[in-house]
Amino acid sequence: MSSTIVLQVENLVKTYDNGVEAVKGVSFHVKRGEVFGILGPNGAGKTTTLEMIEGLRPITSGTIILDGINAVQHPYKIKERIGIQLQSSSFFQNLRLNELIEMFAALYGCKVDPLKLLDDVGLKDKARAMVKELSGGQKQRFSIATTLVNNPVVVFLDEPTTGLDPQARRNLWELIGQIRERGTTVVLTTHYMDEAQSLCDRIAIMDDGKIVALDSPGQLIRQLLARGFTPRTEVHAATLEDVFLDLTGKTLRD
Amino acid sequence: MKTVKSFVAMVKASLKMFMRNKGTIVFSLLLPMVMLSVFGFLSSNSGPAIRLAITNHSTTEMAAEFEKELVQVGAFSIETLSEAEAADALGKGHVDLHVIVPERFGEMKDGRPVPEQIETRFNNGKPQGAQIANLVISQIVNSLDRKFTGNAPMLSIKTTGVTVNDLGYFDFVLPGILAMTIMQLGIFSVAFSFVAWKLNGALRRIQATPIHPFQFVLAQAVVRLIVVIMTATVLVGFGAWFFDFHMMGSYIDFALVCIIGALIFLGVGFSIAGWAREETQVAPVANLVQLPLLLLSGIFFPAEVFPKWLQSITNFLPLTYVVDAMRKIANEGTSLWELPGDLLGMCVWMAVTYTIAVKLFRWE
Repeated sequence: MSSTIVLQVENLVKTYDNGVEAVKGVSFHVKRGEVFGILGPNGAGKTTTLEMIEGLRPITSGTIILDGINAVQHPYKIKERIGIQLQSSSFFQNLRLNELIEMFAALYGCKVDPLKLLDDVGLKDKARAMVKELSGGQKQRFSIATTLVNNPVVVFLDEPTTGLDPQARRNLWELIGQIRERGTTVVLTTHYMDEAQSLCDRIAIMDDGKIVALDSPGQLIRQLLARGFTPRTEVHAATLEDVFLDLTGKTLRD
Repeated sequence: MKTVKSFVAMVKASLKMFMRNKGTIVFSLLLPMVMLSVFGFLSSNSGPAIRLAITNHSTTEMAAEFEKELVQVGAFSIETLSEAEAADALGKGHVDLHVIVPERFGEMKDGRPVPEQIETRFNNGKPQGAQIANLVISQIVNSLDRKFTGNAPMLSIKTTGVTVNDLGYFDFVLPGILAMTIMQLGIFSVAFSFVAWKLNGALRRIQATPIHPFQFVLAQAVVRLIVVIMTATVLVGFGAWFFDFHMMGSYIDFALVCIIGALIFLGVGFSIAGWAREETQVAPVANLVQLPLLLLSGIFFPAEVFPKWLQSITNFLPLTYVVDAMRKIANEGTSLWELPGDLLGMCVWMAVTYTIAVKLFRWE
């Protein structure tokens, strides 16, 4: 299967037992090799949408086709082909990073070189450390490393940079760029518009369980301006974050 | 094949995790070993029941013979003390009976011993041991009398020793402590770690892989069973080596009961893990289950001491079946298949605990 569309979602609906409609008929597709962002305020249904695609949450109705496979009918086949980073996933205590990587690889029936993979995410010298000894940014990079053990077709990252300092965030952007260069499709959610703007080829903006806009960041901005929008503050050529990074440097602080 | 490999990898990783947790090792090995040692020393110190001090003033053959016969009585522990030392020891309660052999005891005159008396002194406060000792001593003196005078006894007793299982309190308490350890291992090791994993998202991360969640639960159970077998081996070996524990029955049957017992209490652990939403809920509920079982299942003392009405309840407790089967196998050499009551009881409890566990278990 090497069609240009790797993930197709049609009319996806999630209604919880208590009647809450978390996702109200969402449709989109993701092209092979792109970074696709899902944006939206808290409670917009981003995570629920991802979890339904990942096979972690039963769907109420709709269809999901990933890499040519019906995800609703074959959740385990899907899990073999994707990598999932959860919003707040912890790992088992008392295991070293290299041991955890080996274990996760075995769960997928794969064999990887843990050191090579940890090197890819800049954690080679932490191979014999435990997860609790890692900083926030290191934890996220390790978490992403575990999603790559099965050489996945699509990697799903749920708010990968939330809670990280600007240095660690930039560093993670680089890592996501590297994953994309390997030819892996990335689907991520984020609250940060700058992140979406610099990382994503296309974004879907969700609100109240629905997609309210879907296009490339540049196109969405052009559409907004075409509607006669003028920003409230004057636009500077640099942002406060640029000042911060200029003053504190881009070196990682882990 | 792929599934088997993933499963083995999961068991290996989980075993590593488990072994690196100092707390579980302390609770599943060190603590039971300390308890075994305490009970072992307690039961071996009660040793020979009656303590004798002997002061022998005589040098005759008969006096020597008398002392030799006394030493041969297994129920006595004998010290040779001076009269003053013995009086002191008796006063302090270190000795139950003081035996004084007079200087002329056993001297012969015209082929007959001269009349003499062996004097015994005992502590009035604790006469039981001394009375028995006195009987034995007069028996020895009588037989010496006859031997040295050549009179054939008219009446006598013929006694034959029958070898019985030389079982002591230690043999009773070791299966008890092992059963207790298995229960605690089953309940606590599963309940605490699963609730922690449930809360910190580690379980969810496993769900994100193609492994079926049930396989993960199974791997955790297998790890606990491996640890249970290890614990049982160490405790039985420790007891046999240091405290003369007797295993009359089959080791395989004994191990089977350990595994069945562990499975029952793993079910309890999974039920608590499934129900609890916070880590702080685990300890109180787990203790609410285990403490009554600990007290009512005849772990440290036989359940026969309870009133009949209470026994009609305690007899049906899960730990009672486990520890009873263990004791019947270890102490009496019964085979597991000759214990249909215990087997049935254990199977029913297993069905009960797993029904509850399946009903209560949640992944998040």
